[in-house]
Amino acid sequence: MAATAEIGSEEKAAKVSSWKGGLDQHARGDKVIWALVVLLTLVSLLAVYSATGSLAYKKYKGNTEVYLFKQVVFILLGFAIVYFAHRVNYTIYSKVARILFILSIPLLAYTLFFGVKMNEGSRWIRVPFINMTMQTSDLAKLALFMYLARLLSRKQQVIKSFKKGFLPVIIPIGITCLLIAPANLSTALLLGASCMMLLFIGRVSVKHLLLVAGLALVPIMMLVMAAVVRHNSGKDVDTTETTQAVKKATGGLTTRVDTWIGRVENFMYGGKEADNDEMYQVNQAKIAIAKGGFVGVGPGNSTTRDYLPQAYNDFIFAIIIEEYGLIGGAFILFIYIVFLYRCIRVFKRCPFAFGAFLALGLSFTLAIQAVANMAVTVNLFPVTGVTLPLVSMGGSSFLFTCLAIGIILSVSRNVENLERPQLAAEEVSEEVVEVEIAEKTNA
Amino acid sequence: MWRVYLCFIGIVLLCLLVLGRATVIQRVQGEHWRSMGDSMHQKIVEINADRGTIFSEDGQMLSTSLPQFDIYMDFMAEGLRLKDGKVYREYIDSFAVAMADYFKDKTARQYRKEFDEAYKKGSRYYALKKKISFEDFKALREFPLVRMGKNKSGIIVEESSKRIAPFGLLANRTIGLSRAYVNSEGKIKKMNVGLEMSYDSLLNGQNGQRVVRYISGGAVPVEGFQVEPEDGKDVYTTLDVNMQDIAETALLRMLQSTHAEYGTAILMETKTGKIKAIANLGRNPNDTTYWENDNYALRVTEPGSTIKIATYLAALDKGTSKPGDLFEVGSAARMQVGPRIISDAHAMPRPVMTIEECVAHSSNIGMGKVGMKAFGKDPEEFKQYLAKYHLDKKSTIDLSGVPPPGIAPLKKDHGGLMNLITMSFGYAIRVSPMQLLTLYNAIANNGEMVSPYLVNSIRNKGVIVKQMEPRVLEEAIAKPATIKAAQKSLELVVTEGSGKKVFEGVPFQIAGKTGTAHVADGNTKYGHGVYQASFAGYFPAENPQYSCIVTIRTRAGAGMYYGGQLAAPVFREIATKVYSMYVERKTPKSYEGARDSTSYFYAGSAKAIKNVLALLDIPFVDSLASSRWATMYAKKYKPVVTGSVVRNSVMPSVKGMGLRDAIRLLEQMGLRVKVQGSGKVQGQSIAPGTSFAKGQAVTLNLA
Repeated sequence: MAATAEIGSEEKAAKVSSWKGGLDQHARGDKVIWALVVLLTLVSLLAVYSATGSLAYKKYKGNTEVYLFKQVVFILLGFAIVYFAHRVNYTIYSKVARILFILSIPLLAYTLFFGVKMNEGSRWIRVPFINMTMQTSDLAKLALFMYLARLLSRKQQVIKSFKKGFLPVIIPIGITCLLIAPANLSTALLLGASCMMLLFIGRVSVKHLLLVAGLALVPIMMLVMAAVVRHNSGKDVDTTETTQAVKKATGGLTTRVDTWIGRVENFMYGGKEADNDEMYQVNQAKIAIAKGGFVGVGPGNSTTRDYLPQAYNDFIFAIIIEEYGLIGGAFILFIYIVFLYRCIRVFKRCPFAFGAFLALGLSFTLAIQAVANMAVTVNLFPVTGVTLPLVSMGGSSFLFTCLAIGIILSVSRNVENLERPQLAAEEVSEEVVEVEIAEKTNA
Repeated sequence: MWRVYLCFIGIVLLCLLVLGRATVIQRVQGEHWRSMGDSMHQKIVEINADRGTIFSEDGQMLSTSLPQFDIYMDFMAEGLRLKDGKVYREYIDSFAVAMADYFKDKTARQYRKEFDEAYKKGSRYYALKKKISFEDFKALREFPLVRMGKNKSGIIVEESSKRIAPFGLLANRTIGLSRAYVNSEGKIKKMNVGLEMSYDSLLNGQNGQRVVRYISGGAVPVEGFQVEPEDGKDVYTTLDVNMQDIAETALLRMLQSTHAEYGTAILMETKTGKIKAIANLGRNPNDTTYWENDNYALRVTEPGSTIKIATYLAALDKGTSKPGDLFEVGSAARMQVGPRIISDAHAMPRPVMTIEECVAHSSNIGMGKVGMKAFGKDPEEFKQYLAKYHLDKKSTIDLSGVPPPGIAPLKKDHGGLMNLITMSFGYAIRVSPMQLLTLYNAIANNGEMVSPYLVNSIRNKGVIVKQMEPRVLEEAIAKPATIKAAQKSLELVVTEGSGKKVFEGVPFQIAGKTGTAHVADGNTKYGHGVYQASFAGYFPAENPQYSCIVTIRTRAGAGMYYGGQLAAPVFREIATKVYSMYVERKTPKSYEGARDSTSYFYAGSAKAIKNVLALLDIPFVDSLASSRWATMYAKKYKPVVTGSVVRNSVMPSVKGMGLRDAIRLLEQMGLRVKVQGSGKVQGQSIAPGTSFAKGQAVTLNLA
């Protein structure tokens, strides 16, 4: 505790003394990660500006600058979050993680039952005072990863044991995923998969993981089966009529299940119902990709953006390929891979298990989210509501992504500080150091 | 650490998969998606070309297109419904008031009520106003709500064009209709008749095309993918609005007073074949009004006596009869001619008449005999003559859907002979008034047959694209002597024969032929007492300017049915009015405007003019005949010397004459001449064509 206070005062002193020293002094942590973040936000600025054309027409009489301005504000806000998050000693996140996780559970429950409905799923709550909708799963995800990092780092000795190691870790994952699933199955599945990966890295027994995977597969298989049955039995007219009736009658979960089945069905059997919204989106995305060619049609020249309903959001990757070509798309992929690689470096260099797992967990989930988004765009996965981290147009997910990156950079900054011996002693309390070094060697 | 790298490699592999998939979409299925994209995002929109206008010869619009607008409202428009219909609630009242104020067809409250209902129902295509003019549309555009634009007000504007005829009834059938209708397959088709149909492809123009890309704000044209529409060409007709009015009025008056079935009157310019007026009036079966409901001018019927001139021409041309040959017609108005009995409508003035008198008094017996004498041995030969007069083929007028004429078989047998004799006085043959007029015009034009035509020129934005020229069908339909004889007999009809009464007192000479035919066509039988009365001829006889035919079909049992009673008065009215307005005025008008040397007008002694021209070695067109007095005017840059009509007790035109000539002429006729000014005669106090008393004073204005 005393140490943290000291850090605080030192930071203040640093701020006062050397603003002139520039960002170098203040924005610490992996420079490459910083650069990648700047690069991605620049891409997002270009892509969002181009892709919001039709939205701007609908809402602001073609004044596209409105969205450009909004995005700029989000980016500035995001950088502020990254900056402040990375200035915080990451060990604090260990404590915050638990509170945040416990808080996230009732929040998710509230969202599920009273949340704002957007795109069918009840995923959002309106945050009082700032009057902005927020996807609670974004917060829950972050909280869960932080909490997992904490749990994994603490349970390393007993990790192979089912009762002492596995159960305490899997239960929070289960709770969060189950609460997110009804409104947003894809996010829940993605989150589950990321968690599994983190557990795998955290040396959880593969046997146990397979068990969980097996359990999770049961409902998925059921969905697939349902899709197969529905596709083979029903002519569209009947199904849509009945489903609409079902929707009206029961609402809630039944509707969602129906949507999932529909999505899986569409994915498996392709667009026979061309007017179907999701098939339309996927087809438009493919059109965009096809039009892009190798080098693209050039910034601002996308035509598909006017037809692609989520061009600025979930399907922004399609617009990027259309405007910047396969090369542009590959570049974006490359950025995420480099980002992940740099985070792994942080993980490797971080002597403390919590920090290492924190950086790794957050970076992997971002990378997985990015790949999932792009996989949806190219129709490898069925349509989900996952954004492309840092590139899709602002909103709460953008800010939470920034927070996650801030936390990663915080770990990175501490690693750098550790590698400068004179600071190391001051920065980290000895007790923690000892414990964590021991854990790390075990890993 | 291996676990981390395994996961990392997994992610990298996934990334490669994504990239691979994108490549497949682009390279392998690319064509499919791109074409699908184009078809979904772009559409080819037709740009309508404006239909051309039909003009009269002097540039008056006879048929033109005006834009009209159908206004709809989309009550589901996003802007309108925004914030629970804030815009709607705020503006709908003032909009309703504006609508009621402007259109005055409903009260503001009624409008408001209808809007509310439509809004509640969420009507997407509420018909607000249909077929409003551009002026109304301009006003509507400024109404509250509407002026907020399409997105906010939900206003939908559909433009179309409406074909209007500014002169209404005038030559309506000939100008034609261009009306859109929906056919059985639900497609919009156009129903055209008349010139609108004949020149449809020219009037229509070529629709343009434009590629538009849909964006959420509407459709945006794609640059470089636009084919401009080519507007329809304008058709300048030969029709003259005033002459058309004269013809139509004269015809209508007669039809109304006699309750006739239908009538047609055609006026043709003799030298060129230009149709100056064409009136077609049919009786509305439900009331007593008349409307241009069919082109009767082209309808083929048994013509009756007007065809006798053909028999006359053929017999004279063949040489079997000479002018002055006598034929016995008897006094019973009934006689056996060859194999059949022929009756005349009335007893002839003399039992034996010259061939000219047979024409003039319209003797069926006489003409039957003429026909039999000429072609009795070989009826087929008559057909060759009919072919020469173009009575066996469709009229060459530039209209489509002209019905073909019909000629009963003319063979070397009993039936052929019967047909020949019958044909000689106008039955067993079906021809249209237009064909007969063409023949009479050829006689007027000294044997040269010109094709009738309705279109002078085709113009594209005022620039002449195609100029129609008079077309000669036959250089000479008969020997000059035959033509001369025919002209004489046609004049005789008016001076002595069946047209004498009607044309009495007309200050210029008319030549023509009456015709009265029993009608048997469709459901009408000869016995029904339906007649077709006609008069075909030309005027002025000495120097024919216009030819005209009037044909009127009576209703069954009508009291008046003779051509001389029904058709000739219409002819007379048309002829006198046209004569005074055009034949006469033509001359002073061109004199007044004679500032340049290409247009001039002189009048004077025929001999003097000829002498001067001969002395100066100027070639000129001599249409003098035997007149003592002549006018000389420019026609196609060539001086034409024409004889002036000078008849006793009718005031001649002395315009353009020198004082010496004028005084000599007028004093010879017994007038006392007073003179004002100096130069050539500009005006005369007694109008040409009017009668005067001997010793009357006439004042000449010289300038």
